[in-house]
Amino acid sequence: MSTNHTRADLTLRLGAAAGDGIQSAGEIMMKTLSRSGAYVSTYNGNQSLIRGGHVWFHIHAGEMPVYSLGYGIDYLIALTQLAYDEHYSEVNSGGVVIYDSSQVKAHDFPNGVNSIDAPLVKTALKYDKRPIMKNTVALGLLGGLLGLKFEVIADTIGEQFAKKPDVQESNVAAAREGYTFAEQHAPETMRRIKFDYTVKRSIMHAGYAVALGAVNAGCRFYAAYPMSPASPIVHWMTANARELGIRVFLGEDEIGVVNATIGASFAGARAMCATSGGGFSLMQEAIGQAAMTETPLVVVDVMRAGPSTGLPTKTSQGDLNMVLGISHDDFPRAIIAPRSPEDAYYLAGRAFNLAERYQIPVIILLDFAIGDGGYATIDELDFNTLIDRGKLVREVTKDMTNGVWFKRYSLTEDGVSPRALPGTAGAMYVAKTDEHDEWGHDLSDVEAGLRTAIQMREKQHVKRMSKLKGVASEMRPPELYGPDKADLTLVSWGSSALPIREAIPVLKSSGFSVNSLEFFDIFPLSADARSMLRGASRLLNVEQNITAQFAKYLRRETGIEIKENLLKYNGEPIYPAEVVDAVKNALKHEEMKQLA
Amino acid sequence: MLNLKLYESDVKPDWCPGCGDFGVLAALKNALAALEIPPERVQISSGIGCSSNLPGYIRTFGHHGLHGRPVPVATGIKMANPDMVVIVTAGDGDEYGIGFNHLVHAARRNHDIKVIVMNNEIYGLTTGQLSPTSEKGQRTKTSPDGSIIYPLNPLSTLLGAGATFVARGFSGDPKQLSSLIQEAIKHRGFALIDTLSPCVTWHDIYDKVRAKMYKLEGTAHDSSDLISAYRLALESDRIPLGLFYRTEDRPSFEELMSEDVTSIYPVDNARNLTAEQIASVMARFS
Repeated sequence: MSTNHTRADLTLRLGAAAGDGIQSAGEIMMKTLSRSGAYVSTYNGNQSLIRGGHVWFHIHAGEMPVYSLGYGIDYLIALTQLAYDEHYSEVNSGGVVIYDSSQVKAHDFPNGVNSIDAPLVKTALKYDKRPIMKNTVALGLLGGLLGLKFEVIADTIGEQFAKKPDVQESNVAAAREGYTFAEQHAPETMRRIKFDYTVKRSIMHAGYAVALGAVNAGCRFYAAYPMSPASPIVHWMTANARELGIRVFLGEDEIGVVNATIGASFAGARAMCATSGGGFSLMQEAIGQAAMTETPLVVVDVMRAGPSTGLPTKTSQGDLNMVLGISHDDFPRAIIAPRSPEDAYYLAGRAFNLAERYQIPVIILLDFAIGDGGYATIDELDFNTLIDRGKLVREVTKDMTNGVWFKRYSLTEDGVSPRALPGTAGAMYVAKTDEHDEWGHDLSDVEAGLRTAIQMREKQHVKRMSKLKGVASEMRPPELYGPDKADLTLVSWGSSALPIREAIPVLKSSGFSVNSLEFFDIFPLSADARSMLRGASRLLNVEQNITAQFAKYLRRETGIEIKENLLKYNGEPIYPAEVVDAVKNALKHEEMKQLA
Repeated sequence: MLNLKLYESDVKPDWCPGCGDFGVLAALKNALAALEIPPERVQISSGIGCSSNLPGYIRTFGHHGLHGRPVPVATGIKMANPDMVVIVTAGDGDEYGIGFNHLVHAARRNHDIKVIVMNNEIYGLTTGQLSPTSEKGQRTKTSPDGSIIYPLNPLSTLLGAGATFVARGFSGDPKQLSSLIQEAIKHRGFALIDTLSPCVTWHDIYDKVRAKMYKLEGTAHDSSDLISAYRLALESDRIPLGLFYRTEDRPSFEELMSEDVTSIYPVDNARNLTAEQIASVMARFS
């Protein structure tokens, strides 16, 4: 296991059965660390069940920004045998395994690993007939080992149980016992970081961030049908609906959801809906409709491993081909893939401006790893989000109508026609999903095939597609992470950028010169992308699907073929160590070739 | 009564001569004029099929969308701007076939939208295939030996779904249809008007309807009685026309929503969060 000893960071993993409260304990620890000045990045290894099975919560914390799961495990809490068996081999030298020998049979401690056999169940039974507080005892123990102030832990626990005052006190007391146990049984040396209790950091996952970014950009209509891992977005929207004035539509299916969103947007609201791959598949015809009627639309796809129902609680970047090819025939669209929660907040706001300026569908691709599955520290957000509603006509002048209809689909140089909202006097028109002329007259029935209709079809089709020129001019090139010049440049899109950021310094300390190009504006591709790729001496593509969808897309758009890939498609997120190994293998292989 | 010319389109309907849909169009214009609703306050959403071409033939705001999806589109429009009078005009394929799920749930949620289904018991524009309301034994291109399936009963199904306004009209009686549309618009909540609108080319039901129809006006039927409404809906020997059921005991979705959510429409609300809202939201992220 590659480790990173140069950084002031540490990794924690809590493993148990679903229903043991491990997610709750993990979230309390994550919040406690954030309130103690630490940066965090978490991952939720959950299953599609309510009780039983095996779930784990991983926290990477540091004195400086952290991005991924980090390297190995420094502290493992194993509440079940399965949790122990699954994770013990990943514990770093110098790390600690915490277990209760009344529940877990410990074995094969790796070299240099400390163990603490703690009476978690026995202690928990003091506070309840059932040992439900064993997670809290373990949490207190972990806090003690890390040297966190107990008051901060106690406050966070108190908050978590604010709605259950009867168990609030007993949970704090149970945590206190664990904390005291740690003070008495801590190994002599442990990996630690410094805390600064004067700094409180905010934490968010990309689901919440995309919702917040949308609403701050004026989105006041949200529609959804529950689907993991997109559901936290609808939870946030409904929880905040009253206070923020959001109208939430809980549709009967994703087809209803996207059509209602299109209706709300057509009526003038900034509107959004979200789903995962399966729901997105159902939405496709309507997304083509939005493009044809030139109705602005923002849709979020929080990717999970497919195809079909696939792995509902596991991560993937397998939906790129789908969104590049949504629905039948050609139409303009924009595709954006935020790399992190913070990115998701800003790119959501921008998505609405793109959607309204160009009257097109904008797709935001998130994934489980940064969506439902992982929180991360966010810096202070800028809430002064630009709201540009594009060519929105509030008053109709004579040149805009023929006395009957508003000229909704007028042929313009940039392809964007002035839009008026239902309710505007004199602005009546019919939004048409059939091919139409400038006034919204059908070209599909009595005019179909007539010379004028043939010409108009061509003009309208070209008009719609010409909007892509404008969109492309707003698309940003990939961001460079690491040194300007390097022997090898890693290429990634969306959240795959994060483990790469933590691999680069480790590679550097081993003498490898590596940087990375992080793509987040995916389609249309920024004009600068090609030259940036050309400038690299060697490219290695990193993404989470089996066919290198992004690399193939880049080849199609730029002619540049990336021959080396790190592809992960087993549902688990990419670990920085895997990037390190892939780069080392690639560069060593090159050296061997040169020697031969 | 507003001037009917206000609603006049510059497009002549492409329906076959004698098509029932002409009667529906006339009744709809008449109802809007009678209620004095100006064109800019009317939103008509439709799906795909002959009947769904209707928005192009009436000068109001229109959304001529996908097959089966006009109900969710209308729902989104109404939620975003409750000032609009939101109407759906579609066919039996749209509403009782591909988009039935949406119809049933819009009824259950009592969205303030008025759904006029032009029911001709056939898929007309696709040149005559079985529809969900085709009768058992009906010969079509997809049932050359006669349909072996019983038709869907839209009225009893919608009553079961909790629709708060259920009526049946006939395109051959635009006067009665207009008054049903006016009642539907005045109703606070979801309304379904199943409108028998014969296809003279593929399945002409004028004679059948005229032979079996009778009007509910003037009968003893009490439209606030759900059980009587069911009984009428299940009648098969005769075809009752008129208002089957209406209740205003249940508030509309939009009325419930405006209690929940600030009454400023999303349309007028595309702005950043206030400092107070930001502080409150961000407190939960730390």
